[in-house]
Amino acid sequence: MTALDLPLREQAAGIASGEIDAGELLDDCLARIEERNGDLNAIVATFPEESRKMLDEAPDGPLHGVPVIIKDEWALPWRAETVGAAAVPGVTTHPGESGPYRALRDAGAVIAGVGNMHELGSGSTGNMSVYGAAHNPWALDRCPGGSSSGPAAAVAGGLVSGAIGADGLGSIRYPAAYCGLTGLKPTFGRSAMEGHHIANTETIVSGPLCRDAADCRLLAAAMFREELSPGEALGLRIGVIRAPYWNDSTPGVREACDSALESLRAEVDGEVIEVEIPEQDLILPAAVLVAQAEEVAHLTAENLNALPEELSVLNRGVLKLRGVLPGSLTARGFRARAQARLNLSRLFDQIDLLAWPSVPAVAPPLADPTIELPSGMTSADAGNARQGVIANLTGVPGINAPVGLDGGLPVGLQLLAGWGRDALLLDAAEALERATDREFVELRPAAVA
Amino acid sequence: MEAGSPFHRYLDSALESFGIEADETERAVMAGVWSIWEPGMTLLRDADLDRVEQEMNPDLGRPPAR
Repeated sequence: MTALDLPLREQAAGIASGEIDAGELLDDCLARIEERNGDLNAIVATFPEESRKMLDEAPDGPLHGVPVIIKDEWALPWRAETVGAAAVPGVTTHPGESGPYRALRDAGAVIAGVGNMHELGSGSTGNMSVYGAAHNPWALDRCPGGSSSGPAAAVAGGLVSGAIGADGLGSIRYPAAYCGLTGLKPTFGRSAMEGHHIANTETIVSGPLCRDAADCRLLAAAMFREELSPGEALGLRIGVIRAPYWNDSTPGVREACDSALESLRAEVDGEVIEVEIPEQDLILPAAVLVAQAEEVAHLTAENLNALPEELSVLNRGVLKLRGVLPGSLTARGFRARAQARLNLSRLFDQIDLLAWPSVPAVAPPLADPTIELPSGMTSADAGNARQGVIANLTGVPGINAPVGLDGGLPVGLQLLAGWGRDALLLDAAEALERATDREFVELRPAAVA
Repeated sequence: MEAGSPFHRYLDSALESFGIEADETERAVMAGVWSIWEPGMTLLRDADLDRVEQEMNPDLGRPPAR
C-alpha cells in the first residue's frame, strides 16, 4: 500500500502536512496507470508534462497536489473532448478551459488523465467506445458501467482515488454501482458544467466518483465551489417504492439493498415508509425524450448522413431514429416532466429520502450486456435507465452507495433527496458506512487488493 | 417487429421526408430500439396530460412552484 491507495482526503492532508510528496504521488499515479491500464482501458489519455505543470502551478486549495481523472466529456486546455466517439454529430470540439477543469485546477487538483466513456454517453454499460471498452476491475470481462466507465474503472482499479464523471441519465450512479464506488449525481445546475458540448442541457451534471462519501464530499465541494458541511442524519424518513424498483431487481441485489436499508434506518433512528409516485410509468419515456431533445437540433439530414463508419452502428441507428421522433411526443415528455417534478416535490414533503437499487442486476458481461430480472430478460440499459432517470428528469440529487456483493460483483443502493439536499445524501451515505463498519467501501477487487 | 408494421411505415416515410439515409442494419437497430421504447412512448402518447400545468422557465435545481 502506498500513498496512492489512501483516500483523497488523506492524500490532501498528507501533502498539506508535508508527509506526502505531491511530485512522487503524481509519478506513482502515472506509473500505476502504465502498469494497470492495459487490462482496464480506463484511461484514454495521459499528459505527464501538463500534469506536472498543473502541480507546479497548483494553488493551496483543498485538493492541492492530489491526482484525479476527468471524463472524456470536457475540454482541457491541451485536449479537446471526444465523448468516447469518432465524431459528435454537428459538433466540433476544441481544447479549452471547461468548467470542471477550472474547478479542479482552482482547488489545487492535478489532472493525471482522461477517463474512457461509453460512446457519446449513450449507454449505461460502458461496453462501447472509440477507444475500446473499459473493463470492470472486479471482473475484467464485465461491464464497468456507463457512461462514466473510465472514471469508475480508474478509481475501483486503484489508479486514482477520485474522478469526475457526468450524469445525464444515470451515468455516474450506474458505473459507481457496477464498480463498488460512491458516486454523487448533484442537484441540476449545482456543479461546474461550463463548456459542455450540450450547452443547453437540462439533464446532465458533473459529479464525483470515489471510494466513499467523505471523498465524494471533498470532490463535490470543489465542483460546487462551496462547502458541503457534514450534518447529523437523524430521524430520516426513507421512502421506498417497491414496484418496480425493488421487486423487479435480482434476488441478490434486493437482499443486499434490503439489508443496507435496514442498517441505515437503524443507524439514523429513522423510519421506512412505503410510498408511490403517481404516473411513474411516464418517467422513463419522458426522460428519454427530454434528454434527446437537447441534441436534436444537430440531427439534421446533412449531419446524420455524414455519420462516420467508425461510429457504432447502434449509435448511428439511434441517432437517426431520434432525428425522426415526432415533436408532439417530445412536447408530451416535457409536460410529463412538469408533472413528475410536482409529484416528487409533494412526496418530499412526507419523506427525506427515496431508496431503491441503483441498478437492478450486477454488472453483465461486456460481450452480452443483458440481464435477467424477475420480469424477464432485458437489456442492461433498459433495466438501469428505469432505476436512474427520475433524478435527471426532475433535477433532484442522487447517490450510489456500495452495499455488498452478489456473485463477487458489487451491488449499489441509490438514495435520492429533494432539490439542493446533496449534503444530506452524503450524510446518509456516511451513516450507512458507519452502520456497516465501512465493510463495503473498504472492499477491493482481488486484482487490486 | 415486422416489415409493414405502423412503425416501419412511419419510419420509411419520415426518413424519406427528411432525406435521411439509413441502411438495413441501421433500420434494424431503429426497430430494435423502438421495440424497447414503444410501450413507454405509447403510455406517454395516451396519458391524460392536458390538466398538467407547464412550468414557465423552470429552474430545475429547485422544486417547482406550488
